[in-house]
Amino acid sequence: MNPEQIARQIGLIEAILFVSKEPVAPGRIMEFLEIKDIEEFEIILTAMEKEHLQDRPDRGLLLKRTGGGLQLVTKPDLYDELKAFFTIKQSTKLTIASLETLSIVAYRQPATLAEISDMRGVNSTGPVKSLLQKKLIKITGRKKVPGLPALYATTQEFLVYFGLNDMSELPSLEELTELFEEKEQPSLFK
Amino acid sequence: MEIEIPGYQVQTDFFEGPLDLLLHLIRKNKMKIMEIRLSQITAEYLAYLESKKGINPSRESDFLMTAATLIYIKSRSLLPKPENPAEESPEKQLIHTLIEYEKIQKISKMLQDMEYTELLLWRRLEMNENFTNREYALKEVSAFQLAEIFFDIVKKKENEQFLYISSKNYSIAEKQDEIFSLLEKSGYFDFSDYVAKLDSIEEILVSFFTLLEMIKRHLLIAVQEQLFGTISIYKNEPGKLDN
Repeated sequence: MNPEQIARQIGLIEAILFVSKEPVAPGRIMEFLEIKDIEEFEIILTAMEKEHLQDRPDRGLLLKRTGGGLQLVTKPDLYDELKAFFTIKQSTKLTIASLETLSIVAYRQPATLAEISDMRGVNSTGPVKSLLQKKLIKITGRKKVPGLPALYATTQEFLVYFGLNDMSELPSLEELTELFEEKEQPSLFK
Repeated sequence: MEIEIPGYQVQTDFFEGPLDLLLHLIRKNKMKIMEIRLSQITAEYLAYLESKKGINPSRESDFLMTAATLIYIKSRSLLPKPENPAEESPEKQLIHTLIEYEKIQKISKMLQDMEYTELLLWRRLEMNENFTNREYALKEVSAFQLAEIFFDIVKKKENEQFLYISSKNYSIAEKQDEIFSLLEKSGYFDFSDYVAKLDSIEEILVSFFTLLEMIKRHLLIAVQEQLFGTISIYKNEPGKLDN
């Protein structure tokens, strides 16, 4: 592919992503652009990312690969100005209770309400309900124990919300322990 | 990381739960989870519970549960008993729960960091949600939410004095026509306002069942524009809701 072709492909992808409300599956774009080779597609995406971030750093958008799809998002350093323009008070963040519940669901899925409450040591009906409303978790089935409690798992929205491509991008429990132990070590020598 | 300076305490809103408080006490006393001195922790835990410092009142029962477990463990240690290796002691169980909970806290912290970086990026989807534009902000509500509001209103009505006894019989078919003509006129109505205007409990009941039936048959949709907001009833037109 010559640079002209690449530039044209980038323009097309950008236009598709601009119009799309949700992340677009890379496969769909490849099919549309008649790109058979994933590496070829990767060249275009890398060029696009380079253009957004390095060639023209003053641009407002960047390409984001998230939730198994491609999406145009605004650059993080524009956050304050955007907030002012759209007069949005404060983006709502998840509560600690919700984050804890989400942690359990993410790492133990599928999990029941009883398991979640048990691990947190507090009744977790509230956070589970609010996460269901936010579509960050969903009911995937019923556990075959007395009472047939609902089993909860994370959703596609969960991936998008935390900027993940797929669940494998979350560090494993072992990695996590290492990660935090490294961080904690300096405090031992104070 | 938490830094403890003697005589100076940073009060974070609430402890999320008893486990959170226990971990706080363990860290404060520079203990390791595996080597907790339970008698000391129990005393401090109970002191917290008594002063209600940092105890979320709506979760008090959960805190009491753990207090009971702590006291039970303490009482067991006072009465020497032949150790039964097959049965897991409540102490081991609690330690296990604490270790697991510490992991959860770490994962939560990680998710929180990820949330923070992601919130700085705006997507089209979020824009739509953030706008106050009516067309975009619609979110369908569940029968449960509708029922919750319904019972609230019935409670209010029950306290009212009715001046006359209505002998009118209401039918679902009639109510359905009435609701349709109302929607024809105004496009939508507020669920709470509508029910509040009705005369008797019987009429409210019939109206509510009619609404549920019509929503079930996809003749109407009930939408809530924001959390805890009022619920509006619309005629179901295809394409009104995206999700």
